[in-house]
Amino acid sequence: MATERNQKENEARVKRKPLISIPAPVDSLLAGWAGLALWLLLLLLLALYPYTGVSSVALFVGSQIFVLVTLASNWNLIGGMTGYVDFGHAVFFGIGAYIMGILVTGSPLLISPEWGFWQALPASGVAAALFALLIGLPTLRLKGPYFSIAMLGTLVAMREVARVLRPITGGGVGLNLPPLLNRLGDYYLMLAVMGLVVSIIWWIQRSEFGQSLIAIREDEIGAEMRGINTTLHKIVAFMIAAFFTGTVGGFWAWQNTYIDPDVVFVEARTVEMVMMSMLGGLGTVWGPPLGAVVIYFLQDLLWGSLFGVHLVALGVLLVVIVLFMPEGILGTLGDRSSTSLGRLLSRVGRSK
Amino acid sequence: MTSDQQPLLEGHTISKYFGGLAAVNNVDFAIYRGEIVGLIGPNGSGKTTLFDCLSRLQNIDNGQVFFKGRDVTRARPYQVARMGLTRTFQSVRVYRKMTVLRNMLISHQWRDTSILRMLQPSHASTAARAHQLLDFLQIGHLADEEAGHLSGGQRRLLEIGMALMPDPDILLLDEATSGVNPTLIETIKDRIRTLNEQGKTFLLIEHNINFIADLCSRVYVLNYGEKLAEGTPQEILQNEAVIDAYFGA
Repeated sequence: MATERNQKENEARVKRKPLISIPAPVDSLLAGWAGLALWLLLLLLLALYPYTGVSSVALFVGSQIFVLVTLASNWNLIGGMTGYVDFGHAVFFGIGAYIMGILVTGSPLLISPEWGFWQALPASGVAAALFALLIGLPTLRLKGPYFSIAMLGTLVAMREVARVLRPITGGGVGLNLPPLLNRLGDYYLMLAVMGLVVSIIWWIQRSEFGQSLIAIREDEIGAEMRGINTTLHKIVAFMIAAFFTGTVGGFWAWQNTYIDPDVVFVEARTVEMVMMSMLGGLGTVWGPPLGAVVIYFLQDLLWGSLFGVHLVALGVLLVVIVLFMPEGILGTLGDRSSTSLGRLLSRVGRSK
Repeated sequence: MTSDQQPLLEGHTISKYFGGLAAVNNVDFAIYRGEIVGLIGPNGSGKTTLFDCLSRLQNIDNGQVFFKGRDVTRARPYQVARMGLTRTFQSVRVYRKMTVLRNMLISHQWRDTSILRMLQPSHASTAARAHQLLDFLQIGHLADEEAGHLSGGQRRLLEIGMALMPDPDILLLDEATSGVNPTLIETIKDRIRTLNEQGKTFLLIEHNINFIADLCSRVYVLNYGEKLAEGTPQEILQNEAVIDAYFGA
């Protein structure tokens, strides 16, 4: 009996082995200080990039990629590391965008003089973090798909709130922000925000706080029973993720110079964050940035070569990736901190 | 154990209902520092529910729980864990995707909850303690293995190690020998005895009567959620009501 069980366990162990394993030195290199050093080196190279005489379009593309990397990394903090798959994370992006819009235009709240960009940008993040606290206290009690649906509902509700609060948000007409074109400034600002966010995620993952988040993801009851204040950990992670997503929303509103409810409170933005994290490796530090870059260029490539059916092709490709690489690129390569969306969404059955 | 000594863990008229079913009904008990106490009963008698109530995983519908003299009836599970009450589970709960060592480290970290500490990796002394405990439990060689890759028995030992990491006052072990081979059972028994000699208190749920008889100084018997008997293992084994309910004689 016992032998039979051991045999089954051995078989299961063989099945669990990744297809390809990252050689141990590379794995530890990415996880430790060397990983951060490589990241800082990459940031330095990116900081020098504008000096190579690139066009303003290239700078714009750069800042867009940095936005995507930041959003994916933020989503990964609550979705991948903590295991709370947030299908409404774009709500924080929208709140950040609207706070920026309202403060810099001033008129809706009769603010005089209007706030400047540098004052409004942190305010966007703070507002999103406070909203995360407010909404997180009830929703983070839910598990698995229940949390996901509750957050999706929050996103839809906030879109309607923005539409209804016409005197403040401009309603369906939206808000026009001052058009100030500064591609180089945008590039460096988003490079800095991206650099900071990914470095923070790196730091969090190796800290006891980050390991507690992963413990919550793996077994929340077990974590609570072993002395981890799960509510506090989840709320803090949620607020950090919301703060930076709100900050990026504020920046995006400034760069885009126009916002309305259908542009900022949009489900597709969350889907984008989920896809990028999933492709790179949910719960890993470097997976979401990798996924964001791959998806950005993949979209570009498919648009150029399969125009007309490029979205279908992207969809099919992603389905294939989910089916055959459920733990993303880094998970397939043997990164132990990765997980799959299926595992996270099945958490409801393991709550007790 | 003297009656004038304050119990380490104490329950007064604990009741827990699931709809119309009384899973635990008016159960009183007291566990004193340094004891190994057994909790036995047929399947569905309310043993694990009582464990859940004591460790605060389940809310209690009636009664009170005191730990170290403090009323913890409404405390959160992490709070009683931090006070020094840790437990294992009937179906083992380990962090399967983490290494054995990481599982151990994570079970210790709340010993210092300052923000500065939380933002740092686990301290080297914590890792040393983890290695020491893993060696003590004879799974030191598996420290770098993923916990999900361990056998059932090894996972049980790991779970006991995780419960020991924060140096608790009392350990609640829920069927620690279930699915474990006889050699490992002897290891677990030996380790519990050693830890008890070092001052640890244990409350054990077990179906393995020999295990209980060998280790425990006192035993509580539950049946249909109610306390059927209490006494030394010898008294319990000769109790007619227990024999009738538990051994089906």
